[in-house]
Order: sequence, then C-alpha cells, then structure tokens
Amino acid sequence: MALRERSFTSQRRNSTTMKRSKANFETWSWFFMRISGLILFFLALIHFSITHIFNDVTTTTVAFVAKRWANPLWRVFDWLLLALGLLHGSNGLRFIMDDYIRTPRRRAFAKALMYSLATVLFVVGTITIVTYKGTL
Amino acid sequence: MSTRSTVYKGKTGQWAFVLHRISGFLILMFILLHIIDISTINFPSVYASIHRLYGNVLMRTFEVGLLFGLTYHALNGLRVIMIDFFPGVIKNEKRLFVAMLSLSLLLTVVGGVIILKPFFTGKV
Ligand code: HEM
Repeated sequence: MALRERSFTSQRRNSTTMKRSKANFETWSWFFMRISGLILFFLALIHFSITHIFNDVTTTTVAFVAKRWANPLWRVFDWLLLALGLLHGSNGLRFIMDDYIRTPRRRAFAKALMYSLATVLFVVGTITIVTYKGTL
Repeated sequence: MSTRSTVYKGKTGQWAFVLHRISGFLILMFILLHIIDISTINFPSVYASIHRLYGNVLMRTFEVGLLFGLTYHALNGLRVIMIDFFPGVIKNEKRLFVAMLSLSLLLTVVGGVIILKPFFTGKV
C-alpha cells in the first residue's frame, strides 16, 4: 500500500488542521520522484529525439557514439540520464513490489535482487561512459 | 452498484495510474537492456552486430511502442506533479488526462511515421 501511504503524506503536508508529520524516507522518495521526473522529462525526450527521430536508428553506429562522446557535455548528459533513470525507475519498481509482493521474505528477496541488478548496471554504464576512448 | 460488490471499478484516474505503472515498468526494462548493448561499444564488431538488429522492422515497431510509453509516462507524470503541487488542478484532472493521452498518441503517430518510413520506402 505504498501508494496510499504516499498520498497520505502529501495530504498531511498540505493540511493546516493536522499537525505536520515529520519528513521520513517516504516523503523524500515522493519528492525525489517528482524532481527526477521533471529532469527526466527533458533528458529522456531529448535523448529519444536525437537517437530515433532526428537520426535514423541505423545511423547510430560506433562512429556516431564516438563523435557525440568527443564532447564531454554529452557524456555528462548521458550519465545524468543513466543515473536518474535508474534511480527513478528502481524506486518506482520498489513501489510496485510493495504493492504486489505480499510476503516479507519474497519482498526482501525481490528488492535485494533488484538493487543488486541496478547497482551492477549503474557501474557498467558509468564505466562505459567515463572510460570510452573512441577514435573519430 | 450492489453493496456486496468488492471489485473496484475505477474511473479515468485508475486507468491513468495503470498505464503510468505499466509504461514506467517497461521503460525501466528497456533501460536495463540498453545499458548492456551500449556497453559493448568497446568491442565495435559486437556493437555493430547487436545494433544491426535495431534497424529491422520488428525492433522499429518496438521503438514506436517505446515512444508511446515514454511520451505517455512523461506527460502523465507532469499531470501527477501538477495535481500534487497546484491544488486547483484536481478539478480538471480528467480533461488533463484526456489531453495528455491525446498528445502522447499524436507524438507517437508523428514519430512512428518517421521511425517506420525507412521500412516502407524499402531502405531497410
Ligand atoms: C520522462 C519523464 C518522467 C516523468 C515526468 C516521470 C514522472 C513520474 C512520477 C511523478 C511518478 C510517481 C507517480 C506516483 O507517485 O504516483 C513516476 C513513477 C514511476 N516512474 Fe516515472 N517519470 C519519468 C520517466 C521515467 C523513466 C525514464 C522510467 C524508467 C526508467 C520511469 C519509471 C517509473 C516507474 C517504474 C514508476 C512507478 C510507477 C508506479 O508506482 O505505479 N519513469 N514517474
């Protein structure tokens, strides 16, 4: 019932009659989803437009990536998309797991698996973006 | 509706939520795959052979699906954020849902034509 808890938190934040509850992890998580969502709105849509609309997918070859990543600002852009996409996405998947996986053991197992996978992919993605030494 | 009914029959808000959840999940699955395929960039021949798959019509159709998921999730996410931060917006949430869904469908059709065109003109 993660969702119900979150909407409660937001109601309490705005309520003047009720005592304002202390901000906990779920409050920050709620806030993070909105801030990262706003940033991802631009990052994800710009990224998709460049790689699928303004350029045909067949032209996004190794040379295409090498040319883009010759500019460090594109590496920063892509890394932000990687980091925020993974954080926002895995936190979202955490809500979904809280809603549908009912037994504590299975829930803990599923989350452990997900956090491990997200961490490994974050490391792999970061290494790819930071260490790439492509020749043009 | 009978008082014994236990099945929640939600209205637009529920459908907005269900679509938001499914699209968010599918985008995440694609991101996981995408991190791996890009990581082969240091092995150019591997990258090239994986990348070649993205050009076929099945993967192009999949990209159009991704475009719908992404535009819907992004626009509906904005709707959720607006409802949360601006109390007046809730009165128009239904119309806003229809607007966001229509806009994402429009963007998908326009983008879909661009993505699928090379297939129909015989370029791939
Ligand atoms: C493009 C801009 C995006 C915006 C504006 C956005 C916005 C949001 C918001 C506001 C929520 C919270 C909904 C709630 O608390 O009820 C959310 C949930 C979620 N988002 Fe995003 N998001 C975006 C991109 C992404 C991306 C790229 C992914 C995948 C990596 C993603 C995956 C998810 C998932 C899995 C959830 C949980 C859904 C649920 O609880 O039902 N989102 N998004």
